[in-house]
Amino acid sequence: MTKMMKKMVALGLTLMMAVPAGAVYAGETEAAGDAELSLAYQYGLGYAAVTIAQQEGLIEKAYKEATGADLTITWNQMSSGADINTAIASGDLDAGFMGVAPAISGISKELGYKIFTNLCGQEHGMMTADESIQSFDDLIGSDNQIALVNIGSIQHIMLAMALDAQGYDAHALDSNIVAMKHPDGMAALLSGTVAAHLTSSPYIFQEQADDTLHAVGDIDKSYSKDTTFLVGIASETIYEENPALYNALVQGIAEGTAYLNENLEDAAAITSEFDGNSVEDEIEYLKKGSYSVETTGVEEIAQFMFANKFIDIDPGTYENLVFENVQGN
Amino acid sequence: MDMMEKKERRRALLTKVIFIILLLVIWEITAKAHVFGKRSEIVFPTLESIWAAFIRNFTFGYAGTSLWIYILNSMGLLLEGLCIGVGLAFILSGLSMVSKTIDTIFNLCVSIFDLLPGVALLPVVIVIFGVKPGVIVFLVVHAVLWPMSRNVLDGFKAVPEIYLEAGRNLGMGSAQLLFGVYIPAATTYIVSGLKVGWARAWRGLISAEMIFGIASSPGIGLFINQMRTNMNNAEMYATLIVIIIIGLIVQYGILNPIENATVKKWGMTK
Repeated sequence: MTKMMKKMVALGLTLMMAVPAGAVYAGETEAAGDAELSLAYQYGLGYAAVTIAQQEGLIEKAYKEATGADLTITWNQMSSGADINTAIASGDLDAGFMGVAPAISGISKELGYKIFTNLCGQEHGMMTADESIQSFDDLIGSDNQIALVNIGSIQHIMLAMALDAQGYDAHALDSNIVAMKHPDGMAALLSGTVAAHLTSSPYIFQEQADDTLHAVGDIDKSYSKDTTFLVGIASETIYEENPALYNALVQGIAEGTAYLNENLEDAAAITSEFDGNSVEDEIEYLKKGSYSVETTGVEEIAQFMFANKFIDIDPGTYENLVFENVQGN
Repeated sequence: MDMMEKKERRRALLTKVIFIILLLVIWEITAKAHVFGKRSEIVFPTLESIWAAFIRNFTFGYAGTSLWIYILNSMGLLLEGLCIGVGLAFILSGLSMVSKTIDTIFNLCVSIFDLLPGVALLPVVIVIFGVKPGVIVFLVVHAVLWPMSRNVLDGFKAVPEIYLEAGRNLGMGSAQLLFGVYIPAATTYIVSGLKVGWARAWRGLISAEMIFGIASSPGIGLFINQMRTNMNNAEMYATLIVIIIIGLIVQYGILNPIENATVKKWGMTK
């Protein structure tokens, strides 16, 4: 064996040892004993019920009441549904909270989870400062640019749904899109560098309050503030193997949602500091959302996504998308 | 080329090939062992499915738009940015050799701006320049200009005074000194500046495209994002391989020949 070959073998062995060490497999949770739960969450108005459940320990309390045992939750803050999808597919997460579009996409890819609760619906809209833009006709075929958060995102799907509902091709404005994060898109709209911005709360509230801007495209007619926007998803493993844990999760979020609807001002005091708003603004913003554990329009969105090639696998019917306890459509 | 050198080259090539094969074998073993649980195949696909995705990227692409279109758009913007960046680096470094004031200011600019990641400038750039492919070109220029200038300036400053005096004695003016003495004498620095600049530009371009995607002129970064959003991990890895292949083509097909034709041929470096 030459010296070089020896070196290569040594390097190979080092790398091989490194690979399994990096692949940490999430531990199986024991039924009805002390349990652990790994959750992914994001911040923002729509996640208010989750923030309340987290801060008030509602899931842990529900578990304690049902089983008498302790539950330890690891809360992982993640920045996008795509990251949560990757983490749950690799077995690092038991459940998470995300936009309805990445959830449908993940379920269609059989990542091993379903929706266990609805979280909220929010206001959405497309705003422009250009008086000559009054309808889709003024945008289609023009070089006017529309900023939205990402191609294939729920905001893109809203645009496609509004176009479809008004008799246009769902992808008629695809080439006008520029992908930008919500605050960048708002800055671009206000500085006049894009013609329009399609966004969600709370950015849409700030844009609606600006009287130099007007809404265009009737986005809210086909995707209203009651339509499911964010959902909670749980792995099929905990649903099947640890019903007590699954039920505690469902109950904790349901209690968080009820608290939010019944004590909005107290809820705002809890969530405002995480969302970076003043308490007054937070109350205003929360009032404009729709918080419920029942889904609205999930199957319709899923079928629209499939029919218009936003996803390439049929996500199936409502029963395939949600667990049995979930009500709605 | 003597025997020793040939043997050395063969050895280097063999090392590279064995190393790559080893990496691929480790990847395949990891993928086949399903170390990431039941859905390991989605998160950590096998080489076969990445290869199939590689083909699919070019034949089907994203919603029917082939990866070729994305590559051509990215390369166009990159080339434009590289030319502007390299040109500016020469012009500004050349001016710095002529004027002490320009030298001081330019050195300060290089020190300040080289520290700023282009992606962090994105919001400001969007507000100033608007939402056009030009924003990406600007970021590529930003990625290339400063490291390239740093190298060119260092190279110019390392030119022995005796060369310059010889040039002046031959009656050369400023421009002639720049092209006749400074640039040839600083070629080693310039070539290494090109290498650093290219790598920075390539990475900068893809990061910018991942954050800021223009649908009418979609680039490779946007393609990666779309694949990631849809959990098409095999397609995403296949695109990373495309990025590596393009990088290698530029390195071995363009930069190395430039190096061989200049500094190596002139015996300035080994």
